[in-house]
Formats: sequence, structure tokens, C-alpha cells
Amino acid sequence: MSNYSQLVASAKANRRKRVFSDEFLLFEQLNRERNDLSLWASELDVVNKHITIDQDTIDGAIESYQELAEHLVEKLHWSPDDIKVFPQGSSSTQTLINTPGRDNFDIDAVCQVDISRVDANDPMAFYQKIGDALDKYDPDAKRRCWTINFSGRKYYIEFTPSVPLSTVPRTVVESFKLQASAKDYEDTALAVVDTPSESWKTSNPEGFTNWVSAQTEKSLLRLSFSDSRNYSLNSSISPVPEQSISLSDTLRVAIRLFKRHRDMAVRRGFIVKEAKPISVIIVTLLTQCYEGLSDLGATYDEPIFLLMELAELLPGMIEIRDGEYWVANPTVEGENFAEKWNDDHGQRKQSFDNWCSLLVIDLQRIMKEQDESAIRKRMREVFGYSAASTPPPRGLAPQKPTIVPQPPAKTGLA
Amino acid sequence: MSSNLEEFLVTHGSLGEQLPTSLSGERLFPIQLYDFPEERGFNHAWLVLDPKFPKGKAHIRLSKDAILRLPHVDSGGDLCITEDPGPRSKISAEDRINLLLNSFYLDYLGPWVSGKLDADFEVESLNYWYIHVAQHSNEKCAINRIYITTDRSNSSKTYTGSLLQPHRILLAGTNKDLANRFIELKSLGMPKSQVVNVAVAEIPIDCEFTPHTWPSSQSSLLNLIQYRLSLTQLKEFSTPKKRGRQVNQVVILRSPKCNYGFHLSGGSPIVVHRGGSSRAFKMAKMYPLTVERIDPSWTYGRDQISEITDRQKLHIVVFGAGALGSPVISQLAKAGIGRISVVDSDYLSPANIGRHELGARQIGRSKAGEIAHKVGEHNPSVKLFPYIQDAESWLNQHSLSKVDAVVDLTGEPDVREHIEQARKENLCPLIIGWMEPYVAAAHACLLPSDRFWFKSNVDQLGNLEAIDWPEDVIRHEPGCSTQFQSYTSAAAAHAVALVTEGVICLIDNKVSTPVIRSWVRGRKFLDAHYKGLHYRSWAEGSSKFDGVSMERSLHG
Repeated sequence: MSNYSQLVASAKANRRKRVFSDEFLLFEQLNRERNDLSLWASELDVVNKHITIDQDTIDGAIESYQELAEHLVEKLHWSPDDIKVFPQGSSSTQTLINTPGRDNFDIDAVCQVDISRVDANDPMAFYQKIGDALDKYDPDAKRRCWTINFSGRKYYIEFTPSVPLSTVPRTVVESFKLQASAKDYEDTALAVVDTPSESWKTSNPEGFTNWVSAQTEKSLLRLSFSDSRNYSLNSSISPVPEQSISLSDTLRVAIRLFKRHRDMAVRRGFIVKEAKPISVIIVTLLTQCYEGLSDLGATYDEPIFLLMELAELLPGMIEIRDGEYWVANPTVEGENFAEKWNDDHGQRKQSFDNWCSLLVIDLQRIMKEQDESAIRKRMREVFGYSAASTPPPRGLAPQKPTIVPQPPAKTGLA
Repeated sequence: MSSNLEEFLVTHGSLGEQLPTSLSGERLFPIQLYDFPEERGFNHAWLVLDPKFPKGKAHIRLSKDAILRLPHVDSGGDLCITEDPGPRSKISAEDRINLLLNSFYLDYLGPWVSGKLDADFEVESLNYWYIHVAQHSNEKCAINRIYITTDRSNSSKTYTGSLLQPHRILLAGTNKDLANRFIELKSLGMPKSQVVNVAVAEIPIDCEFTPHTWPSSQSSLLNLIQYRLSLTQLKEFSTPKKRGRQVNQVVILRSPKCNYGFHLSGGSPIVVHRGGSSRAFKMAKMYPLTVERIDPSWTYGRDQISEITDRQKLHIVVFGAGALGSPVISQLAKAGIGRISVVDSDYLSPANIGRHELGARQIGRSKAGEIAHKVGEHNPSVKLFPYIQDAESWLNQHSLSKVDAVVDLTGEPDVREHIEQARKENLCPLIIGWMEPYVAAAHACLLPSDRFWFKSNVDQLGNLEAIDWPEDVIRHEPGCSTQFQSYTSAAAAHAVALVTEGVICLIDNKVSTPVIRSWVRGRKFLDAHYKGLHYRSWAEGSSKFDGVSMERSLHG
């Protein structure tokens, strides 16, 4: 039994009273009697597919990522055994989603180097060395990583230089006051360079991915949907995992849909970009909540019921420690993902609460709808999608033009 | 139209039978469509041939149900993304039609059905909003258009706006001074006969709306404002009453590039005057509105000149409202300066109008008063203060303590002397601008506040000129002589630009040491006006050009 079950029990006790209408309960009952539980599920599946980044884009991103990784291995002149490049963040947890509109998505990667190859006392020199090696890609220096943009592509790659925490000498650990890794995730703990403070900071992206992945194995659905696809990690350059996720992979689906809802809440004007809940907080809280529900033996008939439960419980998953908001990183002792919430006059916390409230209201509205087109319309409004398909290859002008001129300049709307 | 083309159209596999020709003479042929998913479908598409085709153009039109559902469709259903190469392309009419249809299927329909065009709505968001507004606009709408006096801020706010009747224009924004200036100037389709208070909620949003994301109903808009207004703001906005009557409510959502207005249903009836009759309308349904910005950051800088916000707070004094001063004052107003005092004791004479901003209507009137009136009338965001007096008396009566820059365009040595004394009492940046005869050269000296004009009590002006002028070229212009050398307004425009840009640089704090900027005409120009003139050595390089701008350091 994890600690999160207590947090979930507390969140359940404190959540707002459900406001399902009688009509909804009747509809739920009717659906059960008809054994027709697929209306919401099928629409959620459409949304889930819609927000999946298309394979061409993923292939392009993987190619760029591989190229960069190989370039780093070659350019740094370190032994391939000493350098390891692997994805982190949403690309490794398979929760990468298509951003609405024209915004680019990011692929986070870690470049991990054996400590014996670097001077542990000079993190900035190590950080700069990785940046210099990426020079031909014109990288932008960020707080802990190097960002590489690819002109005309819908993605960018963020490379985080790191060293294994276990290999950092004790004197260095103490001099930089490095936080300890959580015991279950010691093997994967890293030290990354925090450029504003010019010091090492503890990180554990692989451990975090493993933690999320472990929870996804647990099923909270009574009925099973089609199986999710598996992927494997291997070698010193780990591939970006496939991003297509089945509806039965309920935790990942919940993460993806909630992230999408958050993005759409910004698009719809309900929250502002600057204060929107960051992905790592959504992922952490959802995974904790999911783990806690699993420990408590909760099960659900429909994915949307589980989504509703998670949405309602999320605000209660925020911890208060010594009067401060806390979203603890389960893989690094003492790291608080919500650190900024305590220093912004409550703006981010308010935004998080507003988003959770909107999410619950939106899900309620979807669940109250009683016919397919109404459900679809609500889903579209909330998640910003519409059904798309590959057009059949017919209907083209039968006579092939004999001359193909340069296409005229697109004038757009009059 | 050739029989080959007719046969081509009749037998084309992608086209149906021609519809009856419309009154406009356009020929419409239905285009075969796929079986779309329900969400992606629309009723019809037509190939539209201009009556003069193939001399005219062809295009694609979609049925009304596609408007605001599919991107790149204008208010009439015409598709703007695909285009006929046109009659000048030297491509046969048949090939032009095939290219158009292929482009429609491959570049538009295919990507649309597969979702690849969904993000295209964001590219021209405002155009779709205009279509949406036009669809809901009618004579019963109590508000026709919104003009807003302030730039987008990062926080939500609520306030009272002024609905100006009979033109149904809402003046929103919190810059009441600017709003009043527009009203005084009878701008924006005014005059007004009545002002009605309207409760306004202004909310910043981060992304441009698309037809799929803008609030489609009043309930969704009210839901949004509940999240974005504080409880106090919500109360203030939701229950505004005047003498027991509900006040009309408008919500303005402001993204970085677009503004979206909504007039909510309810409120007290608004009287709409039309022709000789008046009728009161109570809004039964929310409708969208166009919001146009009239704040200086937009009108003078199109949001690309960040300094305008600071320039609005500045006060500049310009001495001399003549051929150089009057257009410089106009340009400074357009640069976003907030306050300009104009000092000139002269009156406009017929000989002035060939080069002055003022004209025949103002002959016999004070230059300072008239230019202040004219520039102020054209530029509501600047306040102008005319002083019909000479520089000496103005400086005796006023201090420079609250002046951000002095611009001396009189060309008078005495004025330079008086300004120097005043600046010693209150440090203040100074720009001295003047033109040499024929505008063969013009100069703008830029002095930061702690640097002075006179060097060892010597006035530098004569030494800084570009040309050694013979005695018979009269130097005193125009006030002290009626025989000064003439020049064209166009030649003086170079000097106006030089001086104005100098003033802007100095007040934007981009000049830290004294400099002189000069515009010097080439030999050809000089010879056309007076043969045998000699450049001073620093200006000789201008000789082979039509004209040269250059910057030198002042005082060595």
C-alpha cells in the first residue's frame, strides 16, 4: 500500500459534492441496461487518437534526435560506453501530445556522461562542453538544457547534460548540497547543471518514467479495451518510444487528455499561459492519484468515470508542508515541483484550481449529453478536435494537366 | 467560349451539370465530393467561371455551411487557398481548370479531411471574426462597433464605457482623456447626441480565437468571465445599475493580436435612431462585435515601437513653427509624443504657404495657434499648447523644469543664447535644427541634458555648416528679410526627417554624447542653384552623390 492511498482517501473526503443530475444517473442506468457503454469511450478514443502526434512527425523527430545523439557521441570523443542519450519527460512516458494550433512540441532528452570523464567541480564547464558539441545546430542555452530548433518542423529538442549521481564524489555532493534520490530510484538518479546557480542539482528522469510506467500496469477498468502496444528500451541511444496509446492504458490516456484539456483551457481563454499547470505537476498528481485509487481497490466501468474521479480528486492531492504547497517528486527527496506556487501571490495555485474546476464541469457536461452528436459536439469544444480521416483517392480531375506551372502565391482570405 | 472548352466542361469526370446561370453571369459547375466523416462534411462545392472566362478567372466556391467551419473560406463561400493561374499564364483554359481542381482536391480537401488544415484558422483569426460579426450584425444591434483607447494589459479589468448615439459607437478603455479628445474632435462618425453608460469587462487571453474556440453562446462567455474576473470585478460587472435600471454589458477579450467584443443580452433598452425615427431595443441575444484600437501604441506604432508608451509621458517645447518647425511638430505628434508646447510669435503670410504645414485658410493667423490646432485635430493622443510670443518672453515666463526636451528651429542666435541660460538653470536635452540656403544642407545638433551649446562663449552654428556661402547669398531667413533664398517644400522635407529623427533619438535616450547630424546635397544640386560654391572639407565627400546623411561628434 503506497502513501498515496491516504492522500486519495483524504482527497475523497474533501472533494466537492458531486452534482450529477438525475437525468445523468438515469442515462447511466439506461446505458448499462443496453450494454451500450461505448458512446463516451469511443469519442474519448477519437480524441486520444486525434492528439497523438502523427507518425511522420514522430519519425522526423526520432531521426533528428538520433542524429543529435550520434553527433554528440562522435563530437565529444568519449567512449560510447561512457555516454548515454535517452528520452525523458512526456516522450519517454508516452504522454507526448499534439499541441493545439501551430505551437511546437518538445522532445526532452538526457545526455548522461560518466563522471570520470568530467570535472565534477565545474558543472558549467561540463554544460558548456555539451553546448559546444552541439554548436552546428545553433542551440539556445536554457536553465538546465540546450534547446535545438528545427526550421519548418513541428518539434524542438531539449538536451539536458547530466552525470550519474552515484558517481559524483561525496565532497562535491556536499559542496553543492545535492538532494538525495528516493531509495527506490537510486540507480537512475542524475546530477544536472542548474545554470542560474552554476551548480549541480539532483534529477531522476528515468526513475520518474519508471515510476509512471509501473503505475500504468495497474488497471482500474472492469472491462478491457484493445491492448496497448509495447516498446522496448535498449543500447546507449534509447529510441523515442512510440506515442500511440490504447484507451485501455488509462493512466497514460488520462495524462494525455488532461494535458490536452489544459492546453485547450488556455486556447479558450480560461487560464493564462504563464500560470497554467505545468505538465510534470499534472503527471505527478495523476500518477499518485491513480496509484492511490489502485491501492484502495477502486474500479470503474467506463474510462470517463475514472477521468471524472481523477479530475475531482486532483485538487486534494496537493500537499501542504510547513504552510507551503507541495507536489513532491517521488524520485528525488525534497524536490517540490510546485515550488513556484509559493512565490507568485497564489496565481499558479488559483490557475490550477480554476483548471481543475473547469475540467470537472466540462466532463460533467459531456456525461450529461444523451446522444452521439451532442457528446461529440461537447468533446470537440472541450478537447478541440474533430474527426479526421484519410480521404479516398478518387474524385481527382481525370485529365492530367499538360503543363504544371509554379503555383500562384496564396492570397489567403480576402 | 470555344466548343472544345464546352465539351471539356460537359464531359469532365469531376464536374456535374452546369447550374442555371446566375444574374451575375457566373457559371457554376458542381464538383464531385468524397463521402466525408460527418464532422468534416459540407453540402456542395462548385467550380465558378467568371462571365469572361477564359479571359476572366475561375475559382472554387463552397456552400454556406462551410463558412467558419472550414478554413480559407471567405464570407461568400469562396475559397482563397486555391487559385486559377489566370489568363496571363499562357496555360490553356482546360489545363487551368484541371490545375484548379487538382489543387482543390490535393492541397485543400485532402489536408482538410485528414485534419492538417485545422491550425490554419489561427493564421488569419481576425478575418474569421469579421465574418462572424458580419453574420450577426443588423440594424437592431444597439452597438455597431467598439473603439478602445488602451493597449492590452496583463490583468482583467472592469469599468464604464461610453456608448455614443446616434452612431452606436462604444468608446471603451480606461484612457478617458483620449476618449474625450475623440469626442471633442467629432471623430469616429460622431457627433454624438447622447452618451449611454455601458459596463465593460476587459479580459486578456493568450491565444487568438478560432471559430472553434471563441465563446459560442452567452452561457459559455459567462462561464469564462467567472474564471477570469475577481469576485469584486464580477460583482461590479454583473450588477451594474443606474437609477434602478440594468446597465448594458459588454465583454472584450483581448489576445496579443486581436480583440473580440460581445454585447450581452439583457440590460435596459437602447434607443436606436435611424433616419427620422427612434426605436428602443432590448438585447434578446448576445452578439459579437468588432473592436478597433485607437491607443497610440497601435495608431502610431502598430505595436512595434515599444518606446511610444514612454513618449506619451513626455513634454517637448518647440521654438519656431515655420517651414521647418511646423512639419517637425506634425511628425513629433505622429511619433507618439504626449505633450508639445509650440512657441512662435509670427503670423502666417502668403509667402509662407508654399512650404508651411498651414495654408491659405490660415493666412493672417498665428502660426503657433493654427499649427497646434491642426496637428491636435489630426492626432488626438497629443496635447498641444500654443504660445504666441517670442522665445525670450516664453523663457522668462516658464521654467524648463518639467520639460523633457527643447527643440530650437528658429535659426536665431538670440534664441540659442536664451535657451542656453535657461538650460543652465534646469538641465534639459536640446536639439538645434536649421537649414542652409536652398536646403543645400541641413543640420540637427543633439545635446544631452548636461551638455551645452556654446563653447568658450562662442556660438558654434556657423562653423558647423557644410558650405562656405558667398556674401551675396542672404543668410537671414525668413524673419529678418524678405529676400531670402527660396527652396522647395520637397527639399525641406529632408531636413524635417533629419531633425525629427534626431529629436526621437535623443528623447528615447539613444544619444549619450553631443552629435551633429547633417544632410548635405551633392554638387549637381548646388550648381543648379548657385555656381561655384565650395564645400567645407568634412562635407566634400557629398559632392558626387545626390545627397548624403552623416553624423559627427560635436565639440570635438
